[in-house]
Amino acid sequence: MPIPAKAFQRWLHEIAPEASTSDICRAAGIKRSTLAQQLVRGKVAGATVVSISRAYNINPVSALAGFDAFRQLAAPPFQPTRSELVSQISTPDLLRALLLRTAAEPGGLAKAGQSDMESPGASFPDPQPTPLGPPPHATSVRDWVEAIDDGELRHRVSTATGIAPQNYSAQLTANRLTPALAVATASAAGVAAAGGLVATGLVTEAEAGWPPGARQAALDSMTDGELTVLAGERLQTLGRALRRQEHDQERTEKIWENLG
Amino acid sequence: MIEILQWSTLAVCGLVALTRVPSALRGNNRTLFYIFALMTLAILLSIEAPYVAIDQALGGVNVANLILRLVIFAAIYFVGIRITRGFGADNAYRLITGRMGMTVVALTSLIVVVVFLMMDTAGSSAGMVAVSAKDGRNGLLVEYYGAAGRAYPAYVSLVLLPAMARAVSSTLPALVRVSAFLLAVGAVAIGVSLVFPLIPPEFGFVEFVINYTAVLCFVMGLALIGVASLVHKRHHPRQKTSTEK
Repeated sequence: MPIPAKAFQRWLHEIAPEASTSDICRAAGIKRSTLAQQLVRGKVAGATVVSISRAYNINPVSALAGFDAFRQLAAPPFQPTRSELVSQISTPDLLRALLLRTAAEPGGLAKAGQSDMESPGASFPDPQPTPLGPPPHATSVRDWVEAIDDGELRHRVSTATGIAPQNYSAQLTANRLTPALAVATASAAGVAAAGGLVATGLVTEAEAGWPPGARQAALDSMTDGELTVLAGERLQTLGRALRRQEHDQERTEKIWENLG
Repeated sequence: MIEILQWSTLAVCGLVALTRVPSALRGNNRTLFYIFALMTLAILLSIEAPYVAIDQALGGVNVANLILRLVIFAAIYFVGIRITRGFGADNAYRLITGRMGMTVVALTSLIVVVVFLMMDTAGSSAGMVAVSAKDGRNGLLVEYYGAAGRAYPAYVSLVLLPAMARAVSSTLPALVRVSAFLLAVGAVAIGVSLVFPLIPPEFGFVEFVINYTAVLCFVMGLALIGVASLVHKRHHPRQKTSTEK
């Protein structure tokens, strides 16, 4: 479901009736050849619309909502769920928050493990929360889908859009999702349509209508137990991915050694 | 047509062998150079003109054909070892170098030599065509001789095939997976050569095509892994050593 060139031209004419193609490309910071190619193919990328909207001070989400393929985005923006917000916090930020809690309440988190442990507060002289990094993060797409998945989500997306489940999984593993699929995933899960666009980094959280500080607030509302379990899950997934990478690396080295 | 296929295969294989000379001199994977050199020799001996010339020099009793068979055995043995080692196919490695593999290679070599000695092999002729045409007994023996000559390469190929199929569908670098695919096609082609006796004589050219497909796929597949390793080293210069410290 890409954006047809004709609809795109009509939209361009509405927002910048005077501007030439090269003006628009310069303002939006996209290559003329890229845009020309998309127009010739008759499929304009969502990212193109987003860059141009930003250049002309239009909210990219409402701009996208004007196209048939992204009509779901036009629904009145309802708020992201707490798990969606938390899914868009990077693993290092989550771990930092976990350690900060330990430092702020000596014996709080740590007590669960070892009660007679020396207060670890000393190693954190300044337990001030550092601001969370903006989305997307290294596994934001998969984390987002997992945050909204009721167990049947992938199946429903596959039926709704016709994408093969293994292709969908491959996109998630590569931390990618086409804008159309991101919107389809959100509507299959019944959550705010723009969430997936934030997770893929196409639009910012502010552009998607997420209140400032919403992710931090969601993080703060998590209990120590919830945070620890989530951080553990993230670490486990990360560990598996790293192990797989190392294993592949070892195998490749072996091939070079014997056949290179 | 078949002549073109033969000479271009020889050229490709010879060129690949030449490109391995510098690294062989450096002592880097010398076996690969031997493999390509043996394959080049094998292709040379399977083309009519050079075959007759060499065989005449060796006495004109088709000893060159016997040499060709044994050269192929040696080449496929080393190919099998290198590939199973490289792709970490330990079971396949054992099937080639273990008791089973040794039995197969000893048995097929023995049959090839014994059948060769039983034939009246006078008169150089590539593929022993003239020998087989002499009389019924020689015709039959040439069939057995050929079958035994194809049996060992087919054994090694079938042992390699599962490992190659796994590598194709793995998450290894793309070029390596393409190589594995080529090697798998080559292995299938050699496996198919087992049913040559079932191919009617008027489709004899099919046998040529299958044979040369097999050789080309193996040579290209192995050469491509070399290319992939060069590409890899350029993109990740000495990455491993720096992390090992």
